Amino acid sequence: MNFKKVVLLALLSPFFFASCSNDEDDKIETPLGAYDNGVLILNQGGFGHGDASLSFVSNDYVSFQNNIFSVVNPTLTLGDTGQDVGLYNDFAFVVLNYSNKIEVINRYTMVHVATIDSGLSNPRYIAFANGKGYVTNWGNGGSATDDYVAVINLSTYVVSSKIPVVEGPERILEYNNKVYVAHQGGYGYGKTLSVINTDSNTVAATIEVGDVPNSLEVSNGSLYVVCGGKPVYAPLETAGKLVKINLANNTVSSTIDFAAATHPSNLDIESNSIYYTVGSDIFKVNVDGTTLPTTALFSTTAQGVYGVYSFAVKNNSIYVGDAVDYSSNGKVYVYSSTGTLNKEYTVGVIPAGFYFNE
Amino acid sequence: MTINKLFLSSFLFLCQFISAQQDTISLQEVKISDSQLKKFSSTQSVQQLNDSIISKNQASLTSLLNYNTVIYFKENGLGMVSSPSFRGTTAQQTAVIWNGININSQLLGQTDFNTITTQDFNSIVVRAGGGSAIYGTSAIGGSIHLNNELDFKDTFSNEVKLQYGSFNTFGAHYKLVASNDKWSSQFSLSRNSSDNDYDYLGTTKKNENGQYENSSYSLNVGYRFDSKNIIKLYSQFFDGERHFSGTLTAPSKSKYLDLNTRNLVEWDGFYGSFVSKVKVAFLTEKYKYFEDKEESFFTNGKAETFIVKHDLSYNINSRINLNSIIDFTQTTADGSDLLSKKRQVTSGVLLMNHQLLEKLEYQLSLRKEITNTYDSPFLYSVGAKYEATKKYTVKVNASRNFRIPSFNDLYWQQGGNPNLRPENAYQYELGQEIGFKTIRFSATAFLNKINDLISWKPNSSGIWQPENTKKVTTYGLESNFTFDKKIGNHAIIWSNNYAYTVSENEETNLQLIYVPFHKLTSTMSYSYKSASFFCQFLYNGKVFTSTDNFYELKDYSVTNLGFNYEFGENNMFKAGFQVLNVLNEKYQSVVSRPMPGRNYSINLIFKL
Repeated sequence: MNFKKVVLLALLSPFFFASCSNDEDDKIETPLGAYDNGVLILNQGGFGHGDASLSFVSNDYVSFQNNIFSVVNPTLTLGDTGQDVGLYNDFAFVVLNYSNKIEVINRYTMVHVATIDSGLSNPRYIAFANGKGYVTNWGNGGSATDDYVAVINLSTYVVSSKIPVVEGPERILEYNNKVYVAHQGGYGYGKTLSVINTDSNTVAATIEVGDVPNSLEVSNGSLYVVCGGKPVYAPLETAGKLVKINLANNTVSSTIDFAAATHPSNLDIESNSIYYTVGSDIFKVNVDGTTLPTTALFSTTAQGVYGVYSFAVKNNSIYVGDAVDYSSNGKVYVYSSTGTLNKEYTVGVIPAGFYFNE
Repeated sequence: MTINKLFLSSFLFLCQFISAQQDTISLQEVKISDSQLKKFSSTQSVQQLNDSIISKNQASLTSLLNYNTVIYFKENGLGMVSSPSFRGTTAQQTAVIWNGININSQLLGQTDFNTITTQDFNSIVVRAGGGSAIYGTSAIGGSIHLNNELDFKDTFSNEVKLQYGSFNTFGAHYKLVASNDKWSSQFSLSRNSSDNDYDYLGTTKKNENGQYENSSYSLNVGYRFDSKNIIKLYSQFFDGERHFSGTLTAPSKSKYLDLNTRNLVEWDGFYGSFVSKVKVAFLTEKYKYFEDKEESFFTNGKAETFIVKHDLSYNINSRINLNSIIDFTQTTADGSDLLSKKRQVTSGVLLMNHQLLEKLEYQLSLRKEITNTYDSPFLYSVGAKYEATKKYTVKVNASRNFRIPSFNDLYWQQGGNPNLRPENAYQYELGQEIGFKTIRFSATAFLNKINDLISWKPNSSGIWQPENTKKVTTYGLESNFTFDKKIGNHAIIWSNNYAYTVSENEETNLQLIYVPFHKLTSTMSYSYKSASFFCQFLYNGKVFTSTDNFYELKDYSVTNLGFNYEFGENNMFKAGFQVLNVLNEKYQSVVSRPMPGRNYSINLIFKL
């Protein structure tokens, strides 16, 4: 979500955001039956339009279907502003930011299982550890002091407790039964990670990284964090950083600075290579690299992608989600590891994430 | 008076005409501040909604215009933010003119039509098509004129209106008119509130967090010093609090406060064939947005506009009228997400109306603005009206109009673009009117080429930013058919509007979102002695809700019925009963925001 404060403008002038939807589709689709061995694509939907959706592409590209949640559960609406999907055991947990809820569905059949709609406030991302779910929540965007990580009881599907954290908890991941939360900053600009002890459900450590940590992943016992830096409209713009953290002692072991006014995002690590994006370009560097590449692995501009909205690398394929104009149906492009375009799909509004459903 | 000479010389500077003076003061120029509305609109289509129509409708300007004009409205749920599309244009391309002053929000560039209480005005006039040469920014699709008419004749009247309806909707309105040949005054006070917790038809959900309340007053006073000089004061105030309702799939806990004040002092001088109007206006707008109504933190914005204007009209002879306007406007705005900025604009306007032949009249309007914030194009309007017969009139008009970037467009901290150009549009229209005793029919075809449309989109760094990108062509047809007949104690008025509108993005050839191809309104009123009955019908065709025209909202029609009865001495009491959406149509004006089903309203009016 890059909307942040622009949301108010959207509320005030209905013409401002050129988008919307309704769920009535003329075509009657039938369920595929099984939605495994493929990738689930979360489409955020227009803010306020209640048209978040899921799409599915099989690993062999033979099957593709949009609106798979609605196809399987025709009487239900997924919700408003899909933010993240967490896969755990047989279930997919779909975090719906503006609806303030999580829909729990069977990840292989898409059959609806449960709804978690209390105890969440501006929920963002989800991870699982120690038999529990952990969901970052901004609380009120305008308040820097009401942010928390909600702990979900995975047998009753209720929020069992809340762990207060500093402003703007965003991406979250589990490693070795600990939970790492990147404080992108919400309406402000964060620069830390919180480490959560999942036995006591408390913040056990805080690690300072660069400004606006927006994506993170663990590889070979190290946590890699891409910090976007403060944007151009911030009081003082800062460049991005790639930060490596030694998880044995939670200290920063190396930091690589990006060039001035460069704002990377979308870190993904695959086969000892770090991938990230800057604008429309995709970059690749070895996990042990000490300098950043000066040229992109490839650019998506040929497809008209105006800034990569969502991104993932899996099995030598690179997935790019293009939000187009944030009103029209979005596009998903699948590239080879060298950037050859292999597949192209029209998905729902604003493709926001890829979740590999093996 | 030296100041008087200054105005005179400014007029001479602009038009350099001197001629023998003639004494023809139009009554209209005494009564209303917006004298151009009458004098320089005859080559376009103009629709007047007077007291009797205003009082039949619900209190918001949205409701009045939605059911009685071709203008399409999208409303974020009943009573929430509401914006128009006039002739297929965007919400910022309709100007709202209060007693001659453009009152579109300086921050948003548009008016929220649910923050205007219609009963505060004597007449509301819809002027279709280009009007930027006279009224400045935003008059591209058309303009809505809110007028308070000051009459200098012996009058004293008091009126109280009370209204109560479904969802605990309450309305109260008081109006005092007191005038004689020296003084003319009007005072009105309005209060509207609603729990607005209607059921979403076909679901188990309700419209949550949709309650609203607003208060407004309007005070208008004129004093006639002598036969040549009148001083007028127009003052208006609106204070509203709305909770922004949730949607079908998202709850809401937000709240929004509006506070708008408008003050205008005017000195009218009638010197033979010259009419001089000196106006000084001060407008303020403020909003506060509470993301969480239970919490104390909020974001806000405000703008203050100061206007000095001199409007000088000169009748060269009985056939030619010249009119110059010099306007200086200064706006300062700031807010929690807005850079603090000041904008100064000086405009010069020259208008001419010439009755060339008995049957042929033409009009010219020219405007140029000077400012350091944007490049201002030269604006004009050229039009002619030909009365072929008493019953058949043809009108033709071409104009260039614009919409200047709003403060939010230019100075929003996160993404505002100070390099924006104004949107500008060339418009052409051809209208025909046929009028008999009981039947009137009009049809106007229009074509509008809009360039440099400002739209917000993310740039390559993912930052939302407005840019002058799109080109849009709108064209279509507007028509009105009215049947009006009295037989003895029976009176029937049947008024219909239909518009066909295409509004196409030139790049994609796709229809703009939230512009219906078809809109139809029909109102039938029947009265017999003291009883009257009316039926209102509205049809809005389907609209697309995404720019790729993949998603759409289906068409809908809404029917309202009303019954009124007058009784007591001199019919001093009037009781009314209305059933709104009588057929319980399930519809959404904006996606995911259902509108209410069948609901009821009663009202009582006391006239003293």
